[in-house]
Amino acid sequence: MRYRFVAALAAIAALLAPAARADQAPKGVKGLYLLSDYPAVTLRPGETSSVSLRLQNYDMAPERLGLAVSGVPSGWKVTLMGGGQPVAAAMPATNSSVSLDLHLDVPKSAAIGTRTFTVTASDNSTKLELPIAVTLAKELPAKLTVTPQLPELRGNLRASFSYTLDIKNDSGKKLIVGLAAQTPQNFDASFTQQYDSQELNAVPIDAGQTKDVKLKVTPPNTASAGRYKVVARVSAEGASATADLTLDITGQPRLDVSGREGLVSTRAVAGKQTSVPVVITNTGTAPADDVELDGSAPSGWKISFNPKAIDRIAPNAHKEVQALITPTDKAIAGDYVTTIRASSRGESASTTFRVTVTTSTLWGIAGVGIIGVALLVMVGAVARFGRR
Amino acid sequence: MRREGSAFSGLGVVMLKELSDHLTSVRMRVLEWLVVLVALAALYGAVQQIEDTTAQDPFLFLRLFTTSRDPLPSFVSFISFLVPLMAIGLGFDAVNGEYNRRTLSRILAQPIYRDALLFGKFLAGLVTLAISLITLWLIVIGLGLLLIGVPPGGEEIGRSFLFLFVTIVYAGVWLTLALLFSVLFRSPATAALVTLGVWLFLMFIWPVLAGAVAQIIAPPDPRYLALGLQTPATAVTEQILARLSPSTLFAEVVVALLDPTTRSLGPIYLSQLQGAVLGAPLPIGESMLIAWPQTVGMIASAILVFVVGYVIFQRQEVRA
Repeated sequence: MRYRFVAALAAIAALLAPAARADQAPKGVKGLYLLSDYPAVTLRPGETSSVSLRLQNYDMAPERLGLAVSGVPSGWKVTLMGGGQPVAAAMPATNSSVSLDLHLDVPKSAAIGTRTFTVTASDNSTKLELPIAVTLAKELPAKLTVTPQLPELRGNLRASFSYTLDIKNDSGKKLIVGLAAQTPQNFDASFTQQYDSQELNAVPIDAGQTKDVKLKVTPPNTASAGRYKVVARVSAEGASATADLTLDITGQPRLDVSGREGLVSTRAVAGKQTSVPVVITNTGTAPADDVELDGSAPSGWKISFNPKAIDRIAPNAHKEVQALITPTDKAIAGDYVTTIRASSRGESASTTFRVTVTTSTLWGIAGVGIIGVALLVMVGAVARFGRR
Repeated sequence: MRREGSAFSGLGVVMLKELSDHLTSVRMRVLEWLVVLVALAALYGAVQQIEDTTAQDPFLFLRLFTTSRDPLPSFVSFISFLVPLMAIGLGFDAVNGEYNRRTLSRILAQPIYRDALLFGKFLAGLVTLAISLITLWLIVIGLGLLLIGVPPGGEEIGRSFLFLFVTIVYAGVWLTLALLFSVLFRSPATAALVTLGVWLFLMFIWPVLAGAVAQIIAPPDPRYLALGLQTPATAVTEQILARLSPSTLFAEVVVALLDPTTRSLGPIYLSQLQGAVLGAPLPIGESMLIAWPQTVGMIASAILVFVVGYVIFQRQEVRA
């Protein structure tokens, strides 16, 4: 923007100095020119294309120029178009240009090779010629490249692995680029745009443009630690490119607390210690170190463990400890909930055990004793007061 | 003065005779009909209520005993009210009736000891009550099966059977009391009135009085009052006093046996409930343990009351 502004200022300054000379005619250039940006193009047989031309007038009086195309191979249709219709002459004003389109219709049967024909613009005095070379190739090579910005990612199972891929369309036209990823089994891969959650199967890319696409890979919960290869593949019209990506899944211990054979209930007598087998399983993908055990129970209860801690549990292995639960003396009969926790460096698991507290039968026996005493009193009374 | 032979010779004769007298007496029949009709009404009310309201209950059958529907009280309340009446009705003229008919000395002229006479009368009364209560229990179970259509589980049968046993014990307590007064008072009318008076007092007045007496013995703490709570000491005292009444003991036993979620019959501190799974049923053994002290209290008091009556009877002049 700024440069353009500066350029405009310079142009104005240049104009002001030689007292309002006509348009932006470059110094020293004068005359009529027939121009084209790309006078040599490549096409496929059976294709229609157009080459843009320009008839430029520098510092000359306007002049009518007749237009013609010569040397057109047989079977080809070549038409000069201007303003949307076929034209046969053009008349550029001084220091101005007229745009022309050369419409090419190449038959399917045209032979491979380069053909040249000439566009002529002429009046009585001037004759402008512009040779246009058309190369017929079997196929225009569509070309794609894909470059990952960060090809190696690392994280644990819960992390998400997002790769940003730069996809470049190196071919001469707009392509619909299909996206695919080849992942290990049960991995989930999805493509999205950089800041969009919509998943994509294909993305259109203009000729010569680059687009950033995000590939998100989600490993399954069951994936074990290790390096995994993911191949991202982009393809369009026969062209394809791949990028090798790497997932480095670091292992994560995951603990699970349970009773032996899944039994999470036990019986305990009030005031008496009872031991419950607790099985701690590491269902994760890395060994769990320094597993500490902890329990919470109603107030007045005691929970300890034998052993108190476990040094190491390998993945998919389990260790058994004894939880020693002592209900308080004052516990009334019935079911209580205790929670037993195992934790290993930020990873923890817990489960609730139901403890059925039974009370001591001592008082029941005492009751029997009381009835016995009452019966003894009766026997005594019978013996003492019984009459003949 | 050593006695020859067993003190219980002639016990069987006395018991069978008394039993046949009881079972054929008009008094017994009236009492039986009263109990059966009232129990059926309560049962009908309970079944209606269960059909209306209960969606799912692991102890549906026990609800037959404890559910009430206005204006009728529940089966259990009827039982705790009518069983003493039946026991008193059977026992109030056991000894003084014989005395007034001048048959006591005639019986004792037979080779029957006084021990056997009193034991026989008590056992006959108890067996009569047991027969009617077992019948009533079977009626309830049978009608429950018919009306609800859900078979009772083993634990429910066990619990209701224990309930039957405790009810018989409860009847025994009142029977021994009636026997005691029939020994004490020469006039059956006096004995009946005094026994009924004691029953009314223990059943209706004492539970109310116990609260008032407890407030005198252990005055409530104003700090608890300010919080709107009962002072623990007062609550405990009130409960100890109220438990002097057999009907309180019976009610507590029934709650423990027929409501499996009952964990304790005394006051509980909140700290004791921390972590407790509320509403979880107790195993039947634990419920028995909870109800056992009350049951022991009833059995022992029945024996002691009987012993008192026995001692008095042994020292009494029986010749008219």
